[in-house]
This record gives sequence, C-alpha cells and structure tokens, in this order.
Amino acid sequence: MPPEIPSRRDFLAVLGAAASARSLGQEAPTPDFALRIGPVNLEIQPGKVVRTTGYNGVAPGPLIRVREGQSVTIQVVNGSAVPELAHWHGLRVPSEVDGAMEEGTPMLAPGTSAQYTFAASPAGTRWYHSHSMGGRSLNRGTYTGQFGFFYIEPSNDPGAYDQEIFLALKEWEPYLSTMGDEDGFLDVAYKYFSINGRALGHGDPIRIKAGQRVLLRILNASATVHRRIAMAGHTFEVTALDGNKLASPRISPVLELGPAERIDALVEMNNPGVWIFGATDDHDRKGGLGIVFEYTGQRGPPRWLPPSNQVWSYAAFGNASAEAGAGERLPLVFEKKFAGRRQVDHWTVNGKAWPNTDPLRVARNGRYRLVFDNRSDEAHPVHLHRHTFEIAKIAGVPISGIFKDVVVVGAKTQMEVLLIADNPGRTLFHCHQQLHMENGFMALLEYS
Amino acid sequence: MAAAPCGFLQAQGSYEIQVYGSDLVSPGATMFELHSNFTFEGSKTVVDGQYPTEHQLHETLEITHGFSNWFELGFYVFTSADARVGWQWVGDHLRPRVAVPESWKWPVGVSLSTEIGYQRAVYSPDTWTIEIRPIVDKTIGRLYLCFNPTVDRSFHGPSVSQGVTFSPNVKVGYDVTKAVNAGFEYYGALGPVTGFDPLQQQQQQIFAVTDLNVSPKWEFNFGVGVGMTGGTDHLLVKMIIGRRVTTK
Repeated sequence: MPPEIPSRRDFLAVLGAAASARSLGQEAPTPDFALRIGPVNLEIQPGKVVRTTGYNGVAPGPLIRVREGQSVTIQVVNGSAVPELAHWHGLRVPSEVDGAMEEGTPMLAPGTSAQYTFAASPAGTRWYHSHSMGGRSLNRGTYTGQFGFFYIEPSNDPGAYDQEIFLALKEWEPYLSTMGDEDGFLDVAYKYFSINGRALGHGDPIRIKAGQRVLLRILNASATVHRRIAMAGHTFEVTALDGNKLASPRISPVLELGPAERIDALVEMNNPGVWIFGATDDHDRKGGLGIVFEYTGQRGPPRWLPPSNQVWSYAAFGNASAEAGAGERLPLVFEKKFAGRRQVDHWTVNGKAWPNTDPLRVARNGRYRLVFDNRSDEAHPVHLHRHTFEIAKIAGVPISGIFKDVVVVGAKTQMEVLLIADNPGRTLFHCHQQLHMENGFMALLEYS
Repeated sequence: MAAAPCGFLQAQGSYEIQVYGSDLVSPGATMFELHSNFTFEGSKTVVDGQYPTEHQLHETLEITHGFSNWFELGFYVFTSADARVGWQWVGDHLRPRVAVPESWKWPVGVSLSTEIGYQRAVYSPDTWTIEIRPIVDKTIGRLYLCFNPTVDRSFHGPSVSQGVTFSPNVKVGYDVTKAVNAGFEYYGALGPVTGFDPLQQQQQQIFAVTDLNVSPKWEFNFGVGVGMTGGTDHLLVKMIIGRRVTTK
C-alpha cells in the first residue's frame, strides 16, 4: 500500500471522519478523557530534544485508567498535519471505534476530532497508540510518541502490592540501515532510547523502600524492536502477560517483550542499593534504555549486573500438562519475499501481501485454531485486534493458560492459538513490527 | 604519458580491482579481504623498469576496521607472483574513509576514501601515490548503481609531472536472486584532469562480475575483465573473498 499517497478509500474515510466528528460534536457526551495529537518536543536527556508527535504534548501520553465494564468516552483531536487514528490496543471494542482504518474506523483528518464511546474490557494492562502508516519516512504510526497506557482495573482484584509503576520502553529517531551487512536487507535502527520518555541516568529515579512489593506494568512501545530486560540485583515474579493474569505467577530473571507486548511483574525490593532496570543489550541500555531504582537512604552511582539466566519462553508461564481447547484449523503461513539488497523485504500471509491477502472467515462464537507457520528467519509479534486468544502449542509442544493479544512467533517456528470468535466485526490481524505490517504482513478476519 | 599498464596511479593497478560501495565496516567489526587477480594477457616485456604483467598473480590482503558509523581505516599488503621472480612484496597502503551515516537519511550513499602508500618501482614506476575516491551509490529495487570519480596523484615517479589524474569507476549490478548479484564494473584511467591522454594511452577495462551473498559474515566477488585500449591489460580475472569478524 503506498504510504504517502492517499487512496480513494483513505479520502472517503477522511470525509466520513469529518462528518462523524461534526455529528458527534453536536450529540456526544462529555468526554472522560481527551487526547490531542500534536507535536512534542521530548527532552530525553539534557540538550537532546526529540521532535516527534504525541498526545497532549507529552510522550508517553497520559495514563487512561478506568474500571472494568465502565463506559468510557474519549475525545481525540487531530492537531497534526496528517490523517491519524488512535487504536485501543487489547480492548474488546466494536470495529467502528477500534482505531484501524482497515476495520472501518474513519481516519481523523487534520484539524478534526471524534469521540469514541465503549465499555472498558477486559481488565488489565492495555495501551493506545497511533495506527497510521509511516512508509519509508518513519515518522508516522508507532515510530512516533503517540502511545500511552490504558489500564482497566479489575472489578474483583484489589492488588497485593505496595507500589505500582508503569514503564514504557521506546526508541527514537529511526532510520533505515543494513545493520552492518552491506549486502543485507534494510531494517530500522534508532539513535536514542528511553523509558518513560527519559534516557537512562536522566530524570528522577524511581524511589522504593526495602521490603516493598512493587508491581511493574511494562510496555514495549517500540515500532520494531524485540526487547530483553532485567533489573540488576532482583528477579521478577511475572503475574500477567499482555494484561491477562496467569494462573500461576512464575519467577524469571529476565523479561522479553516483542513490540506491543506487555508484562506485569512483581519485584520484591529485598536488595537495598541503587540499581538499573533496563535492556540487557549493553549498547541500547547505555544508549538510554534503562531507568534507575533507588532504595530509600541509598546513594551512589546506579549498578548494573547482567541477569543470571537469559532464557525466556512463554512455555514457562503456562500449563504444560494440558493443551488449550480444540477448534477448526485456520493456517496462516508467514513468508519473506526478497525485494533486493539494501531494500526492505516484503511479507506475505498465505502467499499474498496486503492489501491482497485473503480474509479469514469465521462464524460467531466459533472456535478456531490459528496455526501460525513462520517460515521466515525473523520473529514476528503478531497481533489480533479486538480479541484475546490462548496459546495452544509452541513448536509442537502443547500448552494452555496463556492469554494474549500479541504473540511472538519465533523464526522458522510454528505456533497454534485458540481463538473464540466472540466479537463480531472486521478484525485486523498483522505483525506489530511496523516495517513488516507496512510491507504486506496484514490480513483481515471477517465474520460470516 | 608512458603506456604503463597497471601502474598504481591508474586505479590501483590490478592489485585491488573493486568499485567501492558507500557502506563502511560496522563499528567494532573488522573485514579481512583477499584480492586475487591474474593477468592472462598483459605486457610481455620490461617497460620503464617495470616487470611485465602477463601471467602475474597479484594477491592483496586488505584489513579494514570500523571505528564509528562514519569512519573506518583500511590497510593493504600488496604482493605479486610469477614464474620469473617468484612471490614478491609490492607495497603497502593506508586508507582512511569517512561516510555520511545512514541516520542522516540521504537519498544516496556518500563516502570519501583517501588512500596513500608506497609500492616498489619494479611493479609501479610511481612509488608514492595518493588516491582520493568520492563514492556515490544508490539502490533502486534490485538495481544497484555506484560511481567512484577517483582522482590520483603521484609524489615520486614519472607521473609526478602529470599532476592530478582522473580514474572513474562504475558498477551496475542486479539482484538476480537473494544470493546472486550480477553486473558490470568499469575501470578507467583517463589521464591528467587538465587534459586526458589519447584514447589508446588511456586505460579502459570492463568486467563482467558476480557477487554472492550467502552470509552476512562473508563476501565474494568474481569477475572477468577485458582491456579495451592498447594501454590496458587485455584479459584479467579477479576474485575477492572477504570475512567479517565482529567482537560483539
């Protein structure tokens, strides 16, 4: 899909959004939250200002915190110079308000606004972000500062922790690079890194007390990069993946998040000191992808210790003795198509690239096994809008109890997930690696 | 200008036959390349004290280290072997190179290489030379275009009086598959920039080449070249095998 030249459909969608905005302006209820898309000058460290687009002049955008089941109205004003859309990632909402043009949510033309009203569910750590396309310019969509947490409080869980901290991992100033292989394909590299909009060592540390149980809600808001992170001197008790609680929390020295994934993890603050939480990759952590945790009464330079073990697998967090339920098999084959050296590869789903991919047909309340067959040499964080699915098999090994809306399918790996088609409407399926999504890796799931 | 085939002043002679792309070796990485060039048809007699080039095998070791995303430094050891004098050391060069970083997002790749060094007079009448090589390249789909409008200068030898000479190199390649790129490379040495040599005294070579891309760690280039003027060796084959080593 040409990224810069609006198609006829884009044009009509923009007209639709404008009309919708006017009528909503006349009749819509008072919004609970307002997001204004506009330029952001983000000083990630003294003297280094990243110029991007964000919500309400900041990046990450404001935390949207609501109760499960609550009707929420959000006004989005597009103060930018290009058509935009905000997507409510991980929420079970109708297609018309989900924030994906491909599903039928109208684009927001520059200077217009719209209000979106829906019931907040399911409970857990969700997020919102731009769902526009960037093309090769890398200044649209998830490359920008248009992202924020959307936390839905469960109605029946008070939470057994002393402090709750939201942490969003992000890279800035992207550019296309052969990554040192002059005959290789182009991928996205970045100049700067941050957590919660600040580079490691800049901004206030997170202050904690010995003996506290601190709940971290971590989001990988990257457009393209898989992250492995650790907290020096501590381990994580992983309680939820993509906001969905695990039946049995597990301890892990590292966390791994593909783009758009979230992890909730408890940390027992039992090792007083000044510690770094950040990327295990030295280059990126030293480049800013970290944040300091400082115990009360402790001073000195923050310390980094590599984790004792860097193994990460979804399998560690599920029930290996049972496989998620059966369903009609829907195969999805992911393949890479060579486009030339020093070019961006193209991607296909079942042999076709978006917008020519064949839609997946499902029936309301039907049970389906989506069989992800990744035949490429790259891992893909695949995302299904408006639904949650359960991992059923990883590389042939049965499992259950892990509910996700994004799952990383490893290179040359098969994975199966159970989907219960219980939210009718057009539903977008895509790789959340923005470069892949924009180069063919998208398809629609349609209810019959 | 004496018709001195393959003197270093003319596009590094037939020791390193390569059109430079704009990409640098990654910071912290080191590239080891072996350039092997054999002249099937060249000069048959000693000219101006220079050994004949016919049936000479040139083996050049090139070691390049990347220091940053805009700077690398290369070092060359040139050698030559033939039945008459055996395997001989020819000379050494040093090659600092700067490039526009990818993060600047220029529409074309741009780099500037400077190569300075010494070679023995029996292999090149010009013993101390400098080469300044601007590099511009562009990929359009599967098509790769590269231009090196190189200028050279001799500091010691018969070509000193020529001043700055012009030696353009061009590469056109096409990705036939992910692993195979095929194309042509052109190497010219046209003479002084103030007035090119007569055509027959210029060096004009064209190579049919293939590059194999089988691994990010390895590079492979093979070509067969013909000289198109009297001042050029008439038939050469070249091969480059490179191994990239990273410490990370």
